[in-house]
Amino acid sequence: MLTIVKLLQSLVKALHSEGTPGQLAAGIALGSILGLTPLVSLHNAIVFGLIVILNVSFAGGLLGWALFIPVGFLLDPLFDRLGHTLLFTPALTPFFTSLYNTPVVPLTNFNNTVTLGSLVFSVVFFLPLFFMARWAVTRYRATIGERVRQSKWYRAVTASKLYNVYRLFRPE
Amino acid sequence: MSVRIFRWRAIGPLLLFTLLGAVLWVLLADRIARVSAEKIGTAIVGAKVEIQYLHIDLKNGDVTVRGLTVASPHEALKNLLQADELVADVDVLPLLEKKVVIDRLAANGLRFGTPRATDGRVPGDPSASVSGRVMGEARDWAQRFQVPALQLATGKIDVGSLDPRRLSAIPAAQALSARADSSRKAWQTGLDSLRLGAAVDSATATLARLKTARATDLAALNDARRAIDQVKQARNRVTTLERGVTSGLASLRAGVAGLDSAKQRDYGFAKSLLKLPSLDAPAIGAALFAPTAVAQFQRALYWTQLARAHMPPGLLPRADAGPPRRRRSGSTVRFPREHALPGFLLRTAELSFQLDPTAPEPKRYTGRLTGLNNDPAVYGRPTVFAASAPAVNAGAMLDHVHQTARDTAGATIQGVRISPFALPSLPLRLDPGQGTVQLAFALRGDSLRARWAVRSTHVQWTRDSAAQRSTVTDLLWRTLSGISDLQVEAGVAGTLSAPRLAVNSNLDEAIAARLRAMMGDQVAAAERRLRAEVDRQVDPAIAPVRARVTALQADVTQSLAQQRAKLDKAQKDLEARVRDLTRIRVP
Repeated sequence: MLTIVKLLQSLVKALHSEGTPGQLAAGIALGSILGLTPLVSLHNAIVFGLIVILNVSFAGGLLGWALFIPVGFLLDPLFDRLGHTLLFTPALTPFFTSLYNTPVVPLTNFNNTVTLGSLVFSVVFFLPLFFMARWAVTRYRATIGERVRQSKWYRAVTASKLYNVYRLFRPE
Repeated sequence: MSVRIFRWRAIGPLLLFTLLGAVLWVLLADRIARVSAEKIGTAIVGAKVEIQYLHIDLKNGDVTVRGLTVASPHEALKNLLQADELVADVDVLPLLEKKVVIDRLAANGLRFGTPRATDGRVPGDPSASVSGRVMGEARDWAQRFQVPALQLATGKIDVGSLDPRRLSAIPAAQALSARADSSRKAWQTGLDSLRLGAAVDSATATLARLKTARATDLAALNDARRAIDQVKQARNRVTTLERGVTSGLASLRAGVAGLDSAKQRDYGFAKSLLKLPSLDAPAIGAALFAPTAVAQFQRALYWTQLARAHMPPGLLPRADAGPPRRRRSGSTVRFPREHALPGFLLRTAELSFQLDPTAPEPKRYTGRLTGLNNDPAVYGRPTVFAASAPAVNAGAMLDHVHQTARDTAGATIQGVRISPFALPSLPLRLDPGQGTVQLAFALRGDSLRARWAVRSTHVQWTRDSAAQRSTVTDLLWRTLSGISDLQVEAGVAGTLSAPRLAVNSNLDEAIAARLRAMMGDQVAAAERRLRAEVDRQVDPAIAPVRARVTALQADVTQSLAQQRAKLDKAQKDLEARVRDLTRIRVP
């Protein structure tokens, strides 16, 4: 239940943040990588760093992460098959052999079928998701966004302490 | 309004976050490494691996492990080994390639086969874990050996348990009796239907008329010839009946002889009720020691196959199960490259161990292990272990560098405390005490040659007080308890799919000779008693049938002979009278 509440909170905050639809969409797209790929991997540390450092919506990042975790679980069999196909493609073996024997790269777990499959999928999915999210946020703000902003429920959410933490990372 | 790309004010919190991560690493690295090492070790060995203390000193590249316990995957309440302390000198740079390279490992206080309080075996899923699959394969391999069971006659042989319903002679006698009765009836009916009386009477009457007839009385002569024909026909009918009776009597006599055969079969059946021991020495050796020997070979095969699974030959990409996590594990693929570092490499390990830690003054031995790695083709050299001391000579080589793996191991340990044996089928326990154990194991591809031998000169025997006592076990106890030397040797040769086992010991011939000496008389006596019991039950059924057949044969033969004699006489008289009448008299 708490997870759902937090997810709603993230959603509301993100949609009404000061950031542009593009910042919010970029945050969601980066967050989707965290959700789609197994969390404990070196590339996710980099993605998380990008969400923090880049002037994208942090709430959007959290929202993308939360939204795509279940999607990741659902698509794991697909990722496994995709990763297996890639890792066992003879033409790619020299490339992977080289990566495998390069310092730091193996820490990304690229040689795991699910990790590689999900990473490739999320990278390919990144731009379509970015454009879709930007269009959806624009439409939302243009239609029902203002009414939600005026609601008591929204004020309750934005008044919480978590919101103050969020403000630290809001887009400039 | 332009949007800036970077959010500079988040640098501070990010650095703080990174610092927090570093602090957590310092605080939790040892714990995480310990738990990970336990998990990985457990998955590899197929039994619990427990570590009391683990410390990583990245600055100096040292890893210290204290209180390592590895449970035995084969025995519930035993450890495979325990170690007081392991200190590893780890190469730090290969860690960036996710490779663990240990330049030198010093293992102190290694002890083998120590007891443990809980079952440390981990039931691995054969389809999911390597250890589970290998364990299943080794178990299947061990079950290929047909180990004979040593059967001893226990208790008194109870001949009263012979069930008459299971004897074949009694129903055969009953059937023959019924056949004899029906034959008697059939033959009597056949005899009656011949109407011999009428033919004889007619012949007698004709003869009487002929006495007063003249030679010119053609009617009387024709009657006489007709009467003679009737008698002849009656004789033919008697002959036909006689033929059938002869055949039937032969069948009944065969039935009587069959009763004797059935009785012999009953003797055989009664004998099969006795539990007779195998008196063959090699079979006795296999029955006594094969289970223990096969267990030794099974363990050696398990470790060898496990090594082959984790140290496969070749340079092709290899997939192993991915790390356990909430998400799907997937497969983790290794891409070995020649002249690079293997994923795991232990260059040298100096081992200090005790073989009998419970001894009052346990001796310390040293061994050396070199080149343990998980990519033999990458490393290019075999893994070698050697331990040599005045009473210990052990060595092993895992050569997976080439496509056909060659694994050899051999050990001779003198003056070691040998675990007691439970001898199958015998209510005795054999404690070899201190002795010499030898194990040699060579697996080249799937060709196997292995040998296990135990020698001891201070054998002690213990009798299982709860077991049922019998004359045989008493005698074996007297025989074996006087033997203080033990020499057991078992060997396996052939391929993994078709192994051949040979076991012999100095106890085999002793047991076989004793069994032959004692069981010979006992078996003969038991057989005599069983024959008498069979006779007691079968003879009352057979004797009347035999007498009935004999009587039937006499009656029928006599009856037929009488009838034939009457017919012969009538025919003879008629023919004589006809000759008299038709003789031409010369005046």
